[in-house]
Amino acid sequence: MQTGTKISLGAHGALILFVLFGPVLKGDPPPVEVAEVSILSSEQFAALTSQSAQAEVEGAPEVQPEPEPAPEPAPQPDPAPEPEPQPEPQPQPEPAPEPEPETPPAPEVTEQVPEPTPDAPEVIQAPAPPREDATPPQVDRVAPEVVAPPPPDARPDVVETPQVSPDPGEAPPQEPQEATAPEQATDRIRPEPVPDPVIAALAPPASRRPPSARPDRPQPTAAPAPTPAQIPTPTPEPTPEPQQTETPTPAPAPAETRDAVADALAEALGGATQAPAGPPLSAGEKEAMRVAVSQCWNVGSLSSAAMATTVVVAVDMGQDGMPDANSIRLLSSSGGDDSSARQAFEAARRAIIRCARGGYALPAEKYAHWREIEMTFNPERMRIR
Amino acid sequence: MMMKHLASLFLGAVCLFGATGAVVAQDGPLRIEITDGVIEPLPFAVPDFVPGSGEAGETARQISRVIAADLTGTGLFREVPASAYISQVADFGAPVAYADWKAINAQALITGAVNVAGGNVTVQFRVYDVFSDSEIGNGLQFSGPVAGWRRMAHKVADAVYSRITGEGAYFDSRVVYVSETGPKDDRRKRLAVMDYDGANVQYLTDSSSIVLAPRFSPNGDRVLYTSYESGFPRIYVLDVGAVQQRGLQSTEGTMSFAPRFAPDGQTVVYSLTEGGNTDIYSMSIATGQSTRLTTAPSIETAPSFSPDGGRLVFESDRSGTPQLYIMPVGGGEPTRISFGQGRYGTPVWSPRGDLIAFTKQSKGRFHIGVMRTDGSEERLLTASFLDEGPTWAPNGRVLMFARETQGAQGQSSLYSVDITGRNLKAVPTPEGASDPSWSPLQN
Repeated sequence: MQTGTKISLGAHGALILFVLFGPVLKGDPPPVEVAEVSILSSEQFAALTSQSAQAEVEGAPEVQPEPEPAPEPAPQPDPAPEPEPQPEPQPQPEPAPEPEPETPPAPEVTEQVPEPTPDAPEVIQAPAPPREDATPPQVDRVAPEVVAPPPPDARPDVVETPQVSPDPGEAPPQEPQEATAPEQATDRIRPEPVPDPVIAALAPPASRRPPSARPDRPQPTAAPAPTPAQIPTPTPEPTPEPQQTETPTPAPAPAETRDAVADALAEALGGATQAPAGPPLSAGEKEAMRVAVSQCWNVGSLSSAAMATTVVVAVDMGQDGMPDANSIRLLSSSGGDDSSARQAFEAARRAIIRCARGGYALPAEKYAHWREIEMTFNPERMRIR
Repeated sequence: MMMKHLASLFLGAVCLFGATGAVVAQDGPLRIEITDGVIEPLPFAVPDFVPGSGEAGETARQISRVIAADLTGTGLFREVPASAYISQVADFGAPVAYADWKAINAQALITGAVNVAGGNVTVQFRVYDVFSDSEIGNGLQFSGPVAGWRRMAHKVADAVYSRITGEGAYFDSRVVYVSETGPKDDRRKRLAVMDYDGANVQYLTDSSSIVLAPRFSPNGDRVLYTSYESGFPRIYVLDVGAVQQRGLQSTEGTMSFAPRFAPDGQTVVYSLTEGGNTDIYSMSIATGQSTRLTTAPSIETAPSFSPDGGRLVFESDRSGTPQLYIMPVGGGEPTRISFGQGRYGTPVWSPRGDLIAFTKQSKGRFHIGVMRTDGSEERLLTASFLDEGPTWAPNGRVLMFARETQGAQGQSSLYSVDITGRNLKAVPTPEGASDPSWSPLQN
């Protein structure tokens, strides 16, 4: 057995013994206080309780509804504001510093002078009910000089409430009503409509049309189709961008010379290189682009006819977010003649170029989605302003 | 457990396929619709035109300043001060440093050259769209006597204005009006004509008799007006070039006033009061033969032709208060087009034919307003103690009118305002002015 175990065993044993026999080894038990109790009869108890009740009445005079003199001065008229001009020899307006128990504080002097003067012509207020400890006022508590009328704060508030009378001249002012939010409004942040790929996947057109099932795409070597612009573009040379907009030309496929399997394989490979990669631009990213161009779309110098003309403008973008100024072209216009369309197009072109200083803030990883942008400039709302 | 695993696999497949489908669905260009823009004056730069010789220097500088004033005065343009220029234009044929003009946000650049030789001045100019790095239109050249340099400046400004805005020109035009001097109770009036901007004032009549309501002919060579020279109001026609006048045929004991040319310039419509009744008549200037167009016991006055000459708009109180009516020139029942509260008067048909300008009195205030020819889309452009007598600029975009201030010392002066209600400004005249009439664009 180890030493530590022995020590522990011994200590525990000592502790047990102390607990068991400790009280026995102690001396006298603690003393118990004993009080003697006398037994009273019911008559004696009743007599005692009646005496204590009388003592309480004498000790609390203000609580007991004893007949007080309060009702007596109530009908008496209030002292007139002008007391008898008794030029007292003590002109000190403040109470003497000597502790005179019967002298009330100075500010209350004028109010508590209520010497009943029956000849007072007017009643201002009923006197306050005298307190139990109130002693009759002494002469020296009369104001040394004529004092002003009692302050009106003791008087019931007689504030004239404005009459709400119907003014025939003008309608009562309407409180400004805040426009209530439409019922559909909510303070919650609404999620973006498209970004969730799962939801997008549930859309039938997307899920049922794998890329390999698409018709032949125009090959990069195909000649660019002429734009249907009514106004000639600034530069006649075609843009070198192989990816053109969706032109109505069906791009006939030489099916008779190509194997179907090879076609499908080639298209699958080609499609992999041309299809936009990554998720499309979010609504926020589109909105940022829209706002950026809007800030430079100045219609202040447009003619009335051009202000009624909507133009659709296409522009090819560089990966740095800069538009290719030579690629800006008018796709279509509505609402005006050729001259108006030209003015509106030039204003749109200026807007695209001016606000592109440093490049538009578009996500580079989604370049495939915005390398060509079609912008519709609709001035209808601007015309109303 | 197996089912849960399968469900996870299915969800993953759906996500993968969905992403692919989304990419396919996002085919084609990014499409954005822009409906909000800004309405601001377009910044432009017009460096002093390059003088071809030393004597052309001052003329070149003045022409540049008039062009800048014309464009700025429209409210549609704002001149970039010369102190902000990075590069100067020392050679009219030199290529434009677009980057320098872009840096100071000059969206349009006007360059030109001026040559003076043999009492004639020649002005060449070009207009550039700075941010497109291209010229707007082709360069133009005007020539004329040196004394007419202001007209050439106006013509250059007209070309620039039309090329950039698409609106018709109006700077190279004149205004005939009644010049007024003296207090209200002893006001002296005479006809005057000036450039649209208040320059080159010429007086056509003296102050010996009261003259009212001058109106330019369609080609600007004549002026119709009403004069009290005979004691009664009578219509006169004045040749502006020769400053010669003659009275139109009138009947003794009648009062004729409020004349206006028909678009053909050969017919005049006017009001004639006979026997206490006022109606509208037309008269051939050549023959003096008149035709009564209205026959109503009410007051019909202030006729104005539509641009095609087929209809008349006029003022009539047949409904109890003065209102605007339209009727065919050949006769027919008038159609009321004004229905707002107040009194309408002095209607004038726009040169474009789409709007009618008028004076409206409502609630103690006078307004200049426009409405469509069917009375719709009424818009009040001004409001003051007394605004009256609108007249259209040749392009139908700007109105000029007379505004009189209140009080015994009140003075009448000319103002112009864009039909959008913007750019209200005073037209400087040497004295008081009223009854303006805008000429057509000068040839």
